[in-house]
Amino acid sequence: MTYFFIIVYSITLVYFALTERVKKFIALLAIQGVLLFGIVFFNLNQIALAEFLFILVETIVVKSVVIPVFLNKVRRDNKLKRVHETEIPVFYSIMAVTGMLMVSFFMSNYLHHQHIHTKFFTVAIASVVFGIYFIIIHKNVFSHLVGYLIIENGIFLLSLAVGSDIPMLVNLAVLLDVLMGVLVIGIFVNRVSDKFQSTNIDELAKLKD
Amino acid sequence: MVWIGVISMLVAALIFPGIIGKVKAKVGGRKGPGLLQPVFDVIRLFNKGTVYSSTTGIIFRIAPLVYFASLLVVLALIPFGGQKGILSFEGDFVFFAYLLAVGKFMMIIAAMDTGSGFEGMGANREALYSMLVEPAFFILMGSLALFAGSTSFYDLYNSLHIKTHLSYLTAITAIYVLVYVALVENSRLPVDDPKTHLELTMVHEVMILDHSGFDLALITMANWLKFSVFGTLIANFLLPYSLPHYAQIGLFFLIQFTFACTVGGLESFRARNKMAKNPQFIIMLSAIAILVFLTALIISEKFSLN
Repeated sequence: MTYFFIIVYSITLVYFALTERVKKFIALLAIQGVLLFGIVFFNLNQIALAEFLFILVETIVVKSVVIPVFLNKVRRDNKLKRVHETEIPVFYSIMAVTGMLMVSFFMSNYLHHQHIHTKFFTVAIASVVFGIYFIIIHKNVFSHLVGYLIIENGIFLLSLAVGSDIPMLVNLAVLLDVLMGVLVIGIFVNRVSDKFQSTNIDELAKLKD
Repeated sequence: MVWIGVISMLVAALIFPGIIGKVKAKVGGRKGPGLLQPVFDVIRLFNKGTVYSSTTGIIFRIAPLVYFASLLVVLALIPFGGQKGILSFEGDFVFFAYLLAVGKFMMIIAAMDTGSGFEGMGANREALYSMLVEPAFFILMGSLALFAGSTSFYDLYNSLHIKTHLSYLTAITAIYVLVYVALVENSRLPVDDPKTHLELTMVHEVMILDHSGFDLALITMANWLKFSVFGTLIANFLLPYSLPHYAQIGLFFLIQFTFACTVGGLESFRARNKMAKNPQFIIMLSAIAILVFLTALIISEKFSLN
């Protein structure tokens, strides 16, 4: 069942490359949160209540509800509808994300280590690389935030790959980091938008002391 | 059973456009034409004479016949109700794809034969979209062939009935890709809008502008058959082969009906893509097909993951 969620997760990455609407970015992030919950849930050996609650909060509550709701608010406040500023045509982006997924899947096939769950590597690496690619091709601060969250989801999957070696405290710190990052960048988006009436990063070049 | 399959596909092809029209009319709050109105239209066309432009040659005259014939032969390749098609051999899905391509190729060169720049544009569009949609179909079928260890349609479908979570996912994704491949092949929404007949937006039907009467009727019927063929490919994913024959035939028509309703519904509620966005939409189907391929590698344990 884990593979089911992993494949659906990779389909969401393809849709990230295809879609140009900010609203859909947010919806896809929310879906990824649910998928991450599915991936973790079907991978738990025994369900301890504390662990289950933590995962539930981390994936469903934070990644699928809190962050998307906050992003929606930022979107509405800044009247963001469609991202026009991709530097690379969507056609090539789809080819790129497909390439990343294939490389990532085939690479996982060659990683043999008894302490590493390579099945998570399949999309984790693709997700991290695609997140960086997503940030590079967009000129909009809001899209950078979305790219950051895609990278974070990839890192979450990487942390699953190394299994129980990461203690819960570290996970908690990462979660807090992400939440703070999103809040800070969200406020940054608002400020940039107030100052320049646009969220295009090229505008930042005009900033002077 | 094999012949019943072919007859069922022919019957489905006859009522398919009627159902799409009816659904669109109902959603739009109109009464709409009868279910068989498209058939009456084609009968009327058959009774008319054909007009040929003096600039066209033999290619223009035989293209509709080749197109229609290719679709008829395609019907013989598709398995029905757990039985092999009339023609079944290793690699028949490749033959299937290229038979469709032969028909399309003839239509493209027939359009070029007229010497009209506008028809040339239509031919360009057809060639581009066919080129883009082909990888999606082949990767999808190749993935299924990986499951089956065989390249015949019959074995592909038989091996797919392994009940794991992932094979359900494969089937759903494959159906999604096939539905959109069918829509692209038939110039339907979201790639083209069959409602529009304005010169600037009707590029999907430009190629048949010079055909009339008998030829036009053949082309129209070939397009219906194409829908029915893709509908049958989809139905084969869903039909449980263990059911008795009559139940399978009933289910087959139900699936074709649902497929037609889906097309009608999509055309009622969805807007047409911008022309420039079509290539990226079609290449997305190939990307999804590649994910099906990766899933097939996981299911067949060609990947060693832990």
